[in-house]
Amino acid sequence: MESKEAPKRMDRRKLIRNGMQLSLGLSLAGVAGWSATKSSSDDLVWQLDPFKCVQCGRCATECIVTPSAVKCVHAYALCGYCDLCGGYLKPDPNARTTAAENQLCPTAAIKRKYIEEPYFEYEIDEPLCIGCAKCVAGCTSFGNGSLHLQVRHDLCKNCNECAIARVCPAEAFQRVPASTPYLIKGDFTKGKKG
Amino acid sequence: MNRKLINGLLVLIAIAIVVIITKDFVGNKAGKNTPNPYEYSVDQFRQVDSAKVLYHEVLTFPVGAETLSGIALADSLVIVAAGNQLLHYDRSGKEVFRKTMSDTANCITVDKEKNLWIGMRHQVAQFDLNGNMQQQWESFGERSVLTSLAVSGDKVFVADAGNRVVYQCDRKGNITLKIGEKNEQKGVSGYVIPSPFFDLALDEEGFLWVVNPGKQSLENYNADGSLRTSWGVPGMKLEGFSGCCNPAEIAIMEDNSFVTSEKGMPRIKLYGQHGELKGVIAPPDKFDTDSYYAPDVAVDAEHRVYALDFDRKQVRIFAPK
Repeated sequence: MESKEAPKRMDRRKLIRNGMQLSLGLSLAGVAGWSATKSSSDDLVWQLDPFKCVQCGRCATECIVTPSAVKCVHAYALCGYCDLCGGYLKPDPNARTTAAENQLCPTAAIKRKYIEEPYFEYEIDEPLCIGCAKCVAGCTSFGNGSLHLQVRHDLCKNCNECAIARVCPAEAFQRVPASTPYLIKGDFTKGKKG
Repeated sequence: MNRKLINGLLVLIAIAIVVIITKDFVGNKAGKNTPNPYEYSVDQFRQVDSAKVLYHEVLTFPVGAETLSGIALADSLVIVAAGNQLLHYDRSGKEVFRKTMSDTANCITVDKEKNLWIGMRHQVAQFDLNGNMQQQWESFGERSVLTSLAVSGDKVFVADAGNRVVYQCDRKGNITLKIGEKNEQKGVSGYVIPSPFFDLALDEEGFLWVVNPGKQSLENYNADGSLRTSWGVPGMKLEGFSGCCNPAEIAIMEDNSFVTSEKGMPRIKLYGQHGELKGVIAPPDKFDTDSYYAPDVAVDAEHRVYALDFDRKQVRIFAPK
């Protein structure tokens, strides 16, 4: 008589143990894969879009770093090198000179240098700049908009929730890849208005 | 009794707290509406004494195009160049003609024979009133940015902001004279043009007036291209021209009064033939704040001013009060 062997049955404990081992293995593989992907892709940092910026002053008052990690930068290629510079001089100044009473910047962080008649160059003294955007407003309204704000990544703490981004009325703050951390006017343009 | 009173008070306090927080959140838009301690304000210069406003707006009509370039008048027509569109409106604002051009216009003018002269970025083209091209000149070069045209008899004046020069040409496009070119030997510093706003116009005697925007002045030239006179003062006050590049647009009336249009703090003003401020045609509060573009302006024989508002995409007509 031919004997038939009964099919092998897995007991419940073994099934649970195998299931847990499989789950653990898959989880570990998943975490390892995710970590590998994350480490190979770009990290993100905060930056502000100069074309969205409305010069509200929040970059000066809200940043956790003092003075702010947001600074004015100058796109020289866009600058008109104007004598009557809307970003440097107060509206209707007494004279077009470097006298403090004529300067728009509250911390005198812009240096005016004579180039040739009638052109002047404007340079930002970044340690003095508090990121208030007053000069940006003047330059944008009455000049070419070459002065604009940028988050300086040597100063920014890259907080998870940026204190400025939280209150920025123009929602100009965004996360950008750390490999291309700046949105400088001239290099970065928006569609021409007209 | 005491317990009920305390509970009631607690409920009232809780409601008050909720109301205060909600009011603050809504009014302040979660911290986005607080005042700016570093605000750049030119509000004091926006205020204009109503006695100085000599004009009022009599008609406004929309321009059916996205990109506006310039405005000109011919008989009863208001002609608008809008990108690559040529649009005609009657004086009531009704669109009566529309044609697509081969290139994008930067500026437009009409001569006495009712030919349309259109400045593209590098080239000038002549059209008849129905938009049929009569001729197209050769390019003024890659660096050229044509911003204004004026025609008098056989002379066509072309403002080139890119090369910082005014070309005097014959009607075929041959350059007969270069005006305002930088010449260190003659001590001519040339035009200061920080941005592509560089307008010109002819007065009733046919003399050329050119805006030197970086010097906030208007310069008048003799027939040989030598400087005849100039006027203009920088400043935000009413009599001055503000910012780096103003007046961005001009027009000259039959009595040789000047209509000037400014960008930054848009305003349209009227000056006498010697550059004395007569009054205001359209004060800053008539325009959107901080416009990058000054309204282009044209004038008719009744001294009405036609302003092409780039922000609102409208033709706005102002008449003397």
